Amino acid sequence: MLKRRTLMGASAALALMFATGAQAQQPLKVVASFSILGDFVSQVGGDRIALTTLVGPDGDAHVYQPSPNDAKAVAGADLVVVNGLGFEGWLDRLIEASGYKSQVAVATTGITPRAFTEDDHDEEEGHQDHTAEEHDHGATDPHAWQSVPNARIYVANIARALGTADPAGAAIYAANAAAYTAELDAMDARIVAAIAALPRDRRTIVTSHDAFGYFAATYGMTFEAPQGLSTDAEASAKDVAELIQQIKSQKIGAVFVENITDPRLLQQIAAESGAKIGGTLYSDALSTADGPAATYLAMMRNNIAQLSAALTE
Amino acid sequence: MTALWHPFLDFAFMQRALLGCIAISLGATPVGVFLMLRRMSLTGDAMAHAILPGAAVGFLVSGLSIGAMTLGGIIAGLTVALLTGAVSRVTVLREDASLAAFYLISLALGVLLVSLKGSNVDLMHVLFGTVLALNDDALVLLCTITTVTLLTLALLWRPLVLECVDPQFLRSVSRWSLPAHLVFLALVVLNLVAGFQALGTLMAVGIMILPAAAARFWAQRLATMIAVAMTIAILSSGAGLLASYHFGLPSGPAIILAAGLFYFASLFFGPTGSLAARYLPRPHLQS
Amino acid sequence: MINIENLTLGYDRHPAVHHLTARIETGSLTAIVGPNGAGKTTLLRGIAGDLPPLAGRITRAPGRIAWLPQQAALDRSFPIDVGSFVAMGLWNRIGAFKGLTRTDRARIDTAIAAVGLTGFDNRPISALSGGQMQRVLFARLLLQDAELILLDEPFTAIDARTTADLVALVRRWHGEGRTILAVLHDMDAVRDNFPQTLLIARERVAHGPTAQVLTAANLLRARAMSEAFDDTAPRCDRSVA
Repeated sequence: MLKRRTLMGASAALALMFATGAQAQQPLKVVASFSILGDFVSQVGGDRIALTTLVGPDGDAHVYQPSPNDAKAVAGADLVVVNGLGFEGWLDRLIEASGYKSQVAVATTGITPRAFTEDDHDEEEGHQDHTAEEHDHGATDPHAWQSVPNARIYVANIARALGTADPAGAAIYAANAAAYTAELDAMDARIVAAIAALPRDRRTIVTSHDAFGYFAATYGMTFEAPQGLSTDAEASAKDVAELIQQIKSQKIGAVFVENITDPRLLQQIAAESGAKIGGTLYSDALSTADGPAATYLAMMRNNIAQLSAALTE
Repeated sequence: MTALWHPFLDFAFMQRALLGCIAISLGATPVGVFLMLRRMSLTGDAMAHAILPGAAVGFLVSGLSIGAMTLGGIIAGLTVALLTGAVSRVTVLREDASLAAFYLISLALGVLLVSLKGSNVDLMHVLFGTVLALNDDALVLLCTITTVTLLTLALLWRPLVLECVDPQFLRSVSRWSLPAHLVFLALVVLNLVAGFQALGTLMAVGIMILPAAAARFWAQRLATMIAVAMTIAILSSGAGLLASYHFGLPSGPAIILAAGLFYFASLFFGPTGSLAARYLPRPHLQS
Repeated sequence: MINIENLTLGYDRHPAVHHLTARIETGSLTAIVGPNGAGKTTLLRGIAGDLPPLAGRITRAPGRIAWLPQQAALDRSFPIDVGSFVAMGLWNRIGAFKGLTRTDRARIDTAIAAVGLTGFDNRPISALSGGQMQRVLFARLLLQDAELILLDEPFTAIDARTTADLVALVRRWHGEGRTILAVLHDMDAVRDNFPQTLLIARERVAHGPTAQVLTAANLLRARAMSEAFDDTAPRCDRSVA
């Protein structure tokens, strides 16, 4: 009799474990706003989550137009992860329209934002006034992920958000986050070393997209841009001329093309100033799976490799 | 005085920009004058929208290659132009409705194709070309299109003029009516495609129409009107580029706004048909 | 010679000219008259080849046709001068591409003089009065040197002196053996100048020498025929008028 009761108790316990286990097998539906964020989320979430990314590889989140499929994905999500800092102007309306009511995790919570400065050549229409600090949008640089220390904060925020949405997996998320953070630390060190290896007067480059502010501030490089941040702003002859002057006078070695905006302008500038054209830097989006920047770590590795190669003669 | 012109002397990209603009000014403005006289000024804008999807598809297929976008734009534009011309001749639907129908279909098709591929940023590139980024290929393209345009206009001068002034008569004496019209629309397409390489699709129409509209107030003869329009376009280009240089304004809009200023000045003070001519008439002649 | 056989011309299946049969002899000077909406302009359009028949047919002797429509789709504001405009009449000779020879220029000058507009060569057509514009159109017609001339209300709304001058021109053409058809409203002008008349009111009312056609009885009959389109009209199965 003891055996039967034990057996029944054991089976009940087993069944309960299976039940909770089975419930936990259903993946958490997470929607990330763009590809870089999506990479972070999948690193932390692993196979406990089913991830949908709205702005895919090589996409431009500044001017993205959501589709009905996106609204469906958001409506059915358990958690939505966004960058914040004004990066996704279209997202609030999408969330409202889809009727999503749960948690929206802002990945940049706790990060010290930087404002665009005079040097950033912010050409966005209507924001020519460089002295104003707080506009409702456009004055804050949202590309915080370009600095690896910030990426650590992203990962921590994401882990916490996942843990809140799925308490059963909190420990797993924390563990994943810790492992990934270690990789981030390694990458950080690598970048620091690579830049230290560059002569001090060779730490300035020209690139067409003004998304590397955080990278520049953290790692001590200078990025000059012929155009402002937004991909639909147009260049002025004055800026182009100043840039050519600067490249010539400072003997800047390299001009970089970034995977979102118009490379023809850069080619013009490079041709006239004698600078070299570097490879492709990835800033706002990952590349496709067969490209050199399919994950965040790959992206940073690619960027620092291209920078080093172009600036080391 | 050299201080004013020095940007053109100092910088290669300014020289190329000016050269490109001169090419466009010579080619697009005569077309614009004809458009204006035939009351087809808005056709330019509609055509620009019709071309856009073709260029977008070219971009999707081959990236920012001049060849692909130009070819795509030309194909889309010519298709719409041909269909429009044919439908308005052979059915009861007039030119304006016919064009509106086809360009809207073309535009919707283009947006659909682009969004199937997944990215919207591509359309933006096509919209905003910049005159500051004209490389050798682009300059060659612009000069070729201008040459073709001027030769064609010289050749087709008579049927084109007659098409404008008395189309019924033309139809009664020859079969040139439809071909002349279609060739003209083809020239519109070519010059818009040229324009959008340099100025973007939105501005390309501006350089075609604004100088022509301004020239209306300066000349009574077609040939003179065209010459004035070309001059205004070239001066606007120079002024716009200089403004872009000295004041940091975006180049395309600066050029078009300069043309706009010429237009307003002509509207107010031009010698013929302007507000001044109407409200401040000069003393009349004896006979 | 124009042979009109059982001709029906119309818009949207409603006939404007209904089962018309007539024969216009070469070299004749014929007026086409009738009440408003009688189909006169439509008939000219059919003869000029601008409107395909709904039924029946028109056969013409080969030769050039010159057609002066009523309210010409003319852009009077276009920046072209009288000389260049009149020169278009030489299209049959010079086509789209050939240049103008000295003989051509002489011909143009002669035509402009024939309509009494010497010295107007360089004037833009936008600066002309109605009467002057009509003269310019006649000058162009002159240069076309056509065997068949179709005039649609050529003297409406112009002054008496211009009318007289242009009528003289029409007479001259008649003397040169050309066939002339003119749609007119002014019955007196018709009686004075046109030996033949075709009176229609959608259908043929009378055709022949003017005095015999323009009788009170015929004119009354013409006026009686209905003007408006009948939306409920049944399909026509008449074969001949």
